[in-house]
Amino acid sequence: MLLTLWVVFTTSFFLMRAVPGGPFDSDRKLDGEIKKNIERRYHLDEPLEMQYWRELRNYLRGDLGYPYKLQDHTVNGVIREGLPVSAALGLLALAFAMSLGLVAGITSATRRGSPADVMLMTLATIGIALPNFVVAGLAILCFVFLIPLFPAAGWGSFHQLVLPALCLGAPHAADVARITRTSMLDVFSQDHIRTARAKGLSRARVIWCHALPGALLPVVSYLGPATAYVLTGSLVIEQIFAIPGLGSHFVEAALQRDYTMALGCVMLYTVILSTMNLLVDLSYAVLDPRVELK
Amino acid sequence: MQNRVVISVVLLVLALSAVAWAVLRVQLPPADFTFVNETEPKSLDWALVTGLPEHRIIGSIFEGLTRLHPKTLAPLPGAAESWEISDDKKSYTFHLRKNARWSNGKAVTAHDFIYSLRRFLDPSTAAEYAYQAWYLKNARRYSVGAKGISAGDPVEVELNERPKGSRPFARGVVLRGKLIEKEGDDDHRVFIVEIEGRRHKYRSGDKGDLNQGIAPCKQVLLDFHEVGVRAIDDYTLEMRLADPTPYWLELLAYHALLPVNRECLETYGSPAWTQAEHIVTNGPYRVAFRRIRDRVRLVRNNYYWDPERPKLEVIDALAINSQVTVYNLFATGKVDWITDAPALVLRELIKTGAAKKEFNPQPYLGTYYYLLNTNRKPLDDVRVRRALTLALNREEITRTATGSGEVPAHSLVPLGIPGYTPERFGKEDVQEAQRLLAEAGYPNGRGFPKLEILYNTHQAHQTIAQLVRKQWEKNLGITVSTRNEEWGSYQTSIRKFVFDAARRAWIADYVDPNSHLDMMVTDGENNNTGWSNAEYDKLIAAARAETDEARRFTLFHQAERILMDEVPIVPIYYYVDKNQVRSSVRGFYRNPLDQHPLSELSRAPEMPADAR
Repeated sequence: MLLTLWVVFTTSFFLMRAVPGGPFDSDRKLDGEIKKNIERRYHLDEPLEMQYWRELRNYLRGDLGYPYKLQDHTVNGVIREGLPVSAALGLLALAFAMSLGLVAGITSATRRGSPADVMLMTLATIGIALPNFVVAGLAILCFVFLIPLFPAAGWGSFHQLVLPALCLGAPHAADVARITRTSMLDVFSQDHIRTARAKGLSRARVIWCHALPGALLPVVSYLGPATAYVLTGSLVIEQIFAIPGLGSHFVEAALQRDYTMALGCVMLYTVILSTMNLLVDLSYAVLDPRVELK
Repeated sequence: MQNRVVISVVLLVLALSAVAWAVLRVQLPPADFTFVNETEPKSLDWALVTGLPEHRIIGSIFEGLTRLHPKTLAPLPGAAESWEISDDKKSYTFHLRKNARWSNGKAVTAHDFIYSLRRFLDPSTAAEYAYQAWYLKNARRYSVGAKGISAGDPVEVELNERPKGSRPFARGVVLRGKLIEKEGDDDHRVFIVEIEGRRHKYRSGDKGDLNQGIAPCKQVLLDFHEVGVRAIDDYTLEMRLADPTPYWLELLAYHALLPVNRECLETYGSPAWTQAEHIVTNGPYRVAFRRIRDRVRLVRNNYYWDPERPKLEVIDALAINSQVTVYNLFATGKVDWITDAPALVLRELIKTGAAKKEFNPQPYLGTYYYLLNTNRKPLDDVRVRRALTLALNREEITRTATGSGEVPAHSLVPLGIPGYTPERFGKEDVQEAQRLLAEAGYPNGRGFPKLEILYNTHQAHQTIAQLVRKQWEKNLGITVSTRNEEWGSYQTSIRKFVFDAARRAWIADYVDPNSHLDMMVTDGENNNTGWSNAEYDKLIAAARAETDEARRFTLFHQAERILMDEVPIVPIYYYVDKNQVRSSVRGFYRNPLDQHPLSELSRAPEMPADAR
């Protein structure tokens, strides 16, 4: 994991420096000395490898530096403010995706071939196919303008969270539904289910206690990266609903050549992603009796 | 099995309480007035910013010597109660109000302004707008550092150590003396300074050189006492300018010349002093809190001197980038003022005319134009440049591409400066354009190299570039291509002259033709065309020294005629403001600088915020 982090850090660092245009291409041309002064403050006048080692040392100490564009803050501060926002939104979206996806997946697996199954799976396919911003646009049209239930954007109350969480969760719900359905059907065909049925257990008990735990494993492995993804914020949803989460910081940083801020976001994303994958592996031990922690 | 269930339940509960915590943490009482301030302010330190979103907030939490009338933009007394101007218009004496207070309750004095001005000009502050204060005598020499001093000048040496007992971020010890000599190049300069009859050697940096008797220092600058500003007493401030500058009182209201609180700055240092819990301000509002890329909340500053203002207690400035979202918020009544909306929406609003009260675009002092790179062939030929401007149908552009009632532009100086009406240059004349192009050696565009239009990535710029391309190709028979670059790279390309024609816009900093015209002087920092004309430079310089307004404007007219005759730039249209303001809001005036002081705003009674 440390190696991954280092590789990501190094690649991002040099990639960002390689793009033409610096962070101080402001509208007005700066006088030579003034420009030199600013560059000295941010150590941009040093050779590239010096900048690299300085940055790496600071990262090891947990100091992510100062963003170029949000000059009143530190990168740590921006992440400290942005991450909980994205996390809250992401958790809500995940909760929604899980509950809806599981229910839909189980329903269509148990009624395989029925109209309900066809309908749910069509919906899921559409859900996966439709990009976020289309879903968001439709949702805004329906629930803000046609039926004024929710505010169009903003951050500050539970009310304002509902729509973005729904839109962020929708494709994940669709994914979860499809995965659940497939793995449920897979489990149904296995011997221990036949045994359970043969014992005369009720249908519900077979589904909930014997089939579901096994069928959940693929869902869990999907959840790992999905969690990392929603936790660090969805840029599109955050932009549309004006949510001050990490996603918007990341996009803005990249667009405005804010090297330090962008690097901070990339690293955070990497950390979360690899941690989540690790957690997924660990959770197998809890969920699947066949896997032993050694 | 039991284990697994317990773990799952614990995880679920943890997740849900995390959501609840994150949501509850951000619950807010609503503000009295909410507006969309485009993007997150880069900083609240006015010395470090140049943008409009920053200005909207900084202009209401700080107050300069003067402030502008919200409608006419005439300078009104701000922190200064009154002032006298000398007969040669170069010397100003300001009398500060005795009841002006910082938000920590202490008095605002002349020394605060001097401290702020010095910091603003200090090269190590790196204020991008420092040149706004260069009208003051010797201010430029002070702020360019070593370049501004030569042998025999009085100088100040700032040491790296702070005076004993000073605050943690105070300036280093300052020694004053006379510069005897500066040796060496930019990187290793040694200053020989005579202080109290003894010669000392200094070098800027952390280390000196003991063997050669060179002491380290932070920097050597012109003695600040030479700069044209001094405090006569605690409440009287004198400023001496290098030239009579008719718009000086307006510039003083601008965010570049505001005061900062010395105690606050020296205690917390930059940038920590701008945090909501530290910052000390003297304007009608103070900062309650800031949430990054969400909002800045302003509340009334109870120490402000004017009991009449501000009229609203709490104001939220939202940072939202997506234009569609911005318009959705306005349309659903969640915000009271937005500064822009998607072009499609605006065009529709104009067509229906339904929202006349809330959306009423008026021209202001901004011009959208194309730069022509006169360093490149064939654009170095003035006939080619003239042909390009004559071949444009600007009406088609403003009608189809912009659509909020923008006015076709035929000059660099926009309409709306009282007493100054720019002439109309380069009206469409395709035949004349073709004739000029043939004369330059490209009959019907034959042999004309491919011309490229550069613009920064934005839907509106793209539409306009495509239209211009079409018109030039059709009318002149030349081949034109377009290239878009993201803002940062676009800036670099312009600066390095890697373009043929490029999109550009300029909005006035003050109501005067000079704001637009002086950037086109030879090597002007925003000239960006490589164009240079000695006669033009002379006229602009003459206008700077002229005190009679009629004669000044004649000089500007002459200068602009030269400019438009030589066509280093092709004007396209003049800006209109795109503000939409809820009809219950009072005190919002459309004015030539598109500036709207928050402290003047109020709300008509009995009109709920979302009365739609």
